[in-house]
Amino acid sequence: MPPVIDRNKCVGCGTCADICNSNIFVFDRAKDSIPQVRFPEECWHCDSCVIDCPKGAITLRMPLSYTLLHVNADTLGREVNR
Amino acid sequence: MIAVSRTIEADVVIVGGGIGGAMAAIAAADGGAKRVVVLEKCHVRRSGSGATGNDHFSCYCPEVHGDDVEPILRELMGSLIGQAKDVELMRLHLQESFDIVKMWEEWGINMRPLGRWNFQGHALPGKPRVFLKFDGRKQKAVLAEQMKKRGVTVLNHHPVVELAKEDGRICGALALNASTPEPSFVLVKAPCVILSTGLTHRLYVNASTPNYLFNTAHCPNNAGGQALGWRIGASMVNMEIPYTHAGIKYLQRAGKATWIGVYRYPDGSPLGPFVTRPDPEYGDVTSDIWNSAFIDVMQNGRGPAYLDCSENTPETLAYMRRAMFDEGLSALIGYMDSKGIDPAKHAVEFTRYEPILHGRGLDVDKDGQTTVPGLYAAGDMVGNAGCGLGLAAWMGWRAGHAAAASAISAAGTTTGDLALNPGIRAKMELLSSFMERKEGADWQEANIALTQIMSDYANVGPYKVRSASLLNAGLSYLNQLRKETNASLKASCSHTLMRAAEVLDLFDCAECILRSALERKETRGSHKRSDFTFTNPLLADRMLDVTRRDDGTVVTSWREVRK
Ligand SMILES: Cc1cc2nc3c(=O)[nH]c(=O)nc-3n(C[C@H](O)[C@H](O)[C@H](O)COP(=O)(O)OP(=O)(O)OC[C@H]3O[C@@H](n4cnc5c(N)ncnc54)[C@H](O)[C@@H]3O)c2cc1C
Ligand code: SF4
Ligand code: SF4
Repeated sequence: MPPVIDRNKCVGCGTCADICNSNIFVFDRAKDSIPQVRFPEECWHCDSCVIDCPKGAITLRMPLSYTLLHVNADTLGREVNR
Repeated sequence: MIAVSRTIEADVVIVGGGIGGAMAAIAAADGGAKRVVVLEKCHVRRSGSGATGNDHFSCYCPEVHGDDVEPILRELMGSLIGQAKDVELMRLHLQESFDIVKMWEEWGINMRPLGRWNFQGHALPGKPRVFLKFDGRKQKAVLAEQMKKRGVTVLNHHPVVELAKEDGRICGALALNASTPEPSFVLVKAPCVILSTGLTHRLYVNASTPNYLFNTAHCPNNAGGQALGWRIGASMVNMEIPYTHAGIKYLQRAGKATWIGVYRYPDGSPLGPFVTRPDPEYGDVTSDIWNSAFIDVMQNGRGPAYLDCSENTPETLAYMRRAMFDEGLSALIGYMDSKGIDPAKHAVEFTRYEPILHGRGLDVDKDGQTTVPGLYAAGDMVGNAGCGLGLAAWMGWRAGHAAAASAISAAGTTTGDLALNPGIRAKMELLSSFMERKEGADWQEANIALTQIMSDYANVGPYKVRSASLLNAGLSYLNQLRKETNASLKASCSHTLMRAAEVLDLFDCAECILRSALERKETRGSHKRSDFTFTNPLLADRMLDVTRRDDGTVVTSWREVRK
């Protein structure tokens, strides 16, 4: 789920792991070149990591269950009822 | 046993570096405290509910509102954040908060994105507006910078799991060092502690996506901090008065008041009587006033309810989009853009969310002082003057100054070894046992079990009731869950241990809610008692304090609302 790191863009600076609002990354510099998304289900979708990544390497993927329910506003009987 | 990696001495310790905590740290340093330490669960640059922005700051600006604060106060008390609050504190907040606004502007937060003091939204048509629209995108970075400038020590990734008392006065805090996968403890001795851990989520079954614990309107890491005050004996207030937020149906991190539109039934008619066309000046306050609107329309079959922004002018839609960025909703905007969901064309479904402890918690005086000497609280975790950014910033500021003065006069009073403090010791042992256990339950099981109990035995009106019989059953199930959790929870790293500690805090918050709800023998708002179906006028101007004594017994008392 949530943040997806583009390995080709990430330079392993560790900012996302440091500032994450939910502490969902683990970055073991001795072992990994980029942070791991270890606790994805705890992402709050606050966008902090996306905003602060200096390389624009992170995108968020919203879980299917968070689907934003919407309808075409024209279907709300506008002409007849307002 | 998990090792103690560090022991620190401080004058003022702040638990939580969100809006209230950061302001408290800045004020404590300005107030003369030399060693100010912030213990933050995540990272002060992006932690808490204000992580990426906010856009409404409650305040009174004489230049805009005129010389009389009272009409503005009446509006604030009538708003969602004024519910069940001490009038005296809310008045003081209004009187002093514009100074904070000016301070924020000086520090580099954009308080006038339109070049003027712009008060909009959250209001009834024709009434004064209490919320200053600003651009909060940089707020956390700026506050972090101001702390740094003053030499405040910030320990990020250090959630606090217990407080300590010596001879009746606060004497320090136990934090978990979660900055490495292997946990260690950090002990911080101090004569003054300011709690500012935000509101509490994850107590009830998630109304949008059951069992997705982190799909929340506000920061889901703010979970149970009120319990730190409860366990150390601070009085709690308004815990039984439910607060329910509303917003986009399945995606909770979506803001609310920034949306400019009209709530409509599927047939196009408006839900509320306040606006028939979108109005940026006032917004549509229907759901602030008619709290159960979105679930009522599902129950009576007339729903679902939509927010329709499509009749705005292109200029207003552009303004709304900008304000959404100011409020930190860039993830939502990115998602909507990628799915082709356009407020100019689409109406989005709204719902009411599960109850949270927002502006429910510690009972404080005008300096944020709780009923425990040396312990202060600020922000969303405060029961009688919390809820929202403006109150958090203001109370943090006051508490910081008061704690600094108190720490200076109490210097040298904390002498004992924190590691030997019985409460601290017991917590260290319990958390260590979770790490030592190889097989057992994950924290999620315990958290979800708790949400089940709370949703079944302490839920809120208008469609769910509370009663002595249900609440007592809830207490007994909670007790069982507590015992089983202590005996079977396991954690494998500092992160899961941090979550386990949160669950223990959530249990205590739940107990406090259950006990408070039992004592309020009337129906008030969505605290709906089936065994006391009336609202008792004698309780209208009274608040219920619930306190856990050092011997573990719980006492309740009523006090007058401070006018
Ligand atoms: C999208 C969005 C928009 C909002 N817009 C507005 C608005 O326009 N106007 C308004 O008035 N309000 C708004 N709010 C609410 C506002 O953000 C909060 O009221 C405000 O941040 C409260 O400040 P606080 O200090 O009490 O809590 P927070 O700012 O949430 O800070 C709490 C801090 O405590 C830390 N913490 C928690 N537990 C522990 C622990 N045990 N140990 C150590 N640290 C801990 C957290 O990590 C966090 O840093 C909005 C909220 C959201 C989510
Ligand atoms: S969106 Fe927020 S919570 Fe999610 S990974 Fe990024 S910083 Fe962490
Ligand atoms: S912030 Fe960006 S560049 Fe830095 S580690 Fe994270 S993904 Fe990589």
